Amino acid sequence: LPYFKDAQEVYDTVGKLFVELAEDPELAPKFRKADTIVQYDYTEPDSTITVRLQEGQPGDVDFGETEMEPEVTMRMKADTAHRFWLGKVNVTMAIARGEIKPQGPVSKILKLVPLTKPVFPRYRAQLEADGRKDLIDV
Amino acid sequence: LTSFKDYYQFAHPTRVVAGRGMIDAAGFEFVKDGAKRPLIVTDEMIRATGLTEKVEAGLADGGLEVAGIFDAVPQDSGIGVVEACAAAAAEAGCDSLVAVGGGSVMDTAKVANAIHIHGGEVLDYEGIYTLPRTEGYEGAPLPLAPLACIPTTAGTGSEVSFGAVIRDPEQNAKISFGDFPLFPRLAILDPEATRTLPPQIAAATGMDAMTHAIEGYTSTEWNPHGQAFAIAALKLIRENLSTAVLTPEDEVARGNMLIAASMAIVAGAAGSVALGAVHSMSHPCGGRYGVPHGVANAINLPHVVRFNAADEATAERYRDVAEVLGAESGADVGEAVAALLTELSTSLGLPQRLSEVGVPEAGIPELVEGAMGDGCTLTNPRELSEEDFTALYEAAL
Repeated sequence: LPYFKDAQEVYDTVGKLFVELAEDPELAPKFRKADTIVQYDYTEPDSTITVRLQEGQPGDVDFGETEMEPEVTMRMKADTAHRFWLGKVNVTMAIARGEIKPQGPVSKILKLVPLTKPVFPRYRAQLEADGRKDLIDV
Repeated sequence: LTSFKDYYQFAHPTRVVAGRGMIDAAGFEFVKDGAKRPLIVTDEMIRATGLTEKVEAGLADGGLEVAGIFDAVPQDSGIGVVEACAAAAAEAGCDSLVAVGGGSVMDTAKVANAIHIHGGEVLDYEGIYTLPRTEGYEGAPLPLAPLACIPTTAGTGSEVSFGAVIRDPEQNAKISFGDFPLFPRLAILDPEATRTLPPQIAAATGMDAMTHAIEGYTSTEWNPHGQAFAIAALKLIRENLSTAVLTPEDEVARGNMLIAASMAIVAGAAGSVALGAVHSMSHPCGGRYGVPHGVANAINLPHVVRFNAADEATAERYRDVAEVLGAESGADVGEAVAALLTELSTSLGLPQRLSEVGVPEAGIPELVEGAMGDGCTLTNPRELSEEDFTALYEAAL
């Protein structure tokens, strides 16, 4: 069974992390160097998160429909996204296997991968604080 | 002990025919892939050598009807060229394509094939696994028209890879594509195709093949299938590169370098992306300063070898490379391999410093940013920081 029962659960967990990262005074400026708009297009359950990563722009994060025009789209199961933020997904392997399907200028997103490592413990802490320990040991 | 990988993927669906006179048999071979009316994709320089006419004759001899010739591919093909090529394919009513040229020509044919069959625009297919499938983004990828490649350089390996790189002039950037239908159905490796290759290009493309083999062998995504190809490629390069460059009339050396290049790419980037920091450094050198890819690789390779081999686990893999290339490795295998590579590229007449090919010291910060954002950085065997890339560029300058 998928880890999340519906789109709202995705937004309440993975989505919540994106919102917090967008407001983080240390990490947000580094992510915005990507200078792009990324759409995470999840399945099982169907859900969409769109993130603006542009220098000098607000760190918008939209759930579901959006007026932002994504330059890069990352398609994957919501489970894969969740496992990624737990630090359990090797991105290059996932792309090679087709678990993550990037469309658009992929390098703009790949250069962010090394920046995500410090976020993994933070995501775990967020899940613990939200009473979702069930999502940690997956 | 040899470790066991958690996962790797190996794909080599392209049929390779190699040997003398294979261009004359192009039609006999390509008809086996269902081709009847191919469009020939090439560039003006290749066409001027008369090679395209030989390919036409070879196709006709096998009963194929050439639907047309598109010869407007420049050195760094762009989106507009791909769209023009796709339009030419539609206008000619072709059912297949034959690419005769280097990487730019072959990559143009690959992406134009996707537009010709599936419609849409070039940017629709940028990325990995983006071609249409039986169930939207899932399921089996839908096939493209049969594509045969006749490489006229021995380096890129695009004739057996699932990748393509095209320039986006609006963004002044290279855009990448990777998907299984982009694998050519047929690669024809005939030394006649490199008979008029200028020595300096033979040298640079040969060092590109060398880089593919070494980076494929040592990257984080190394795997036994790929390594077998890499070792065989390195052996052929060792035995043939200098002769192919310095004695270009030597058909044996030229033929073996074509084979080496098509094997080297299999180790690094045929069915996945598994190169390393040499490519990460060379891509922005090409994008920002127009440094030819093979030249940039030849300059950057020894420096990255020294850096990577300082890691003990990676050094073990470089010992295999040293053995095949004939480097006296001793205690410092990185230095031994790097010195041998520098000696080789010097003997081939290639530039040894980035400053010799137009890269200014002031450009290093921008190059570092480009290298950090390059996908190949993720698969380099040793993790690199901005400071590491800065030091490498300074060493290569």
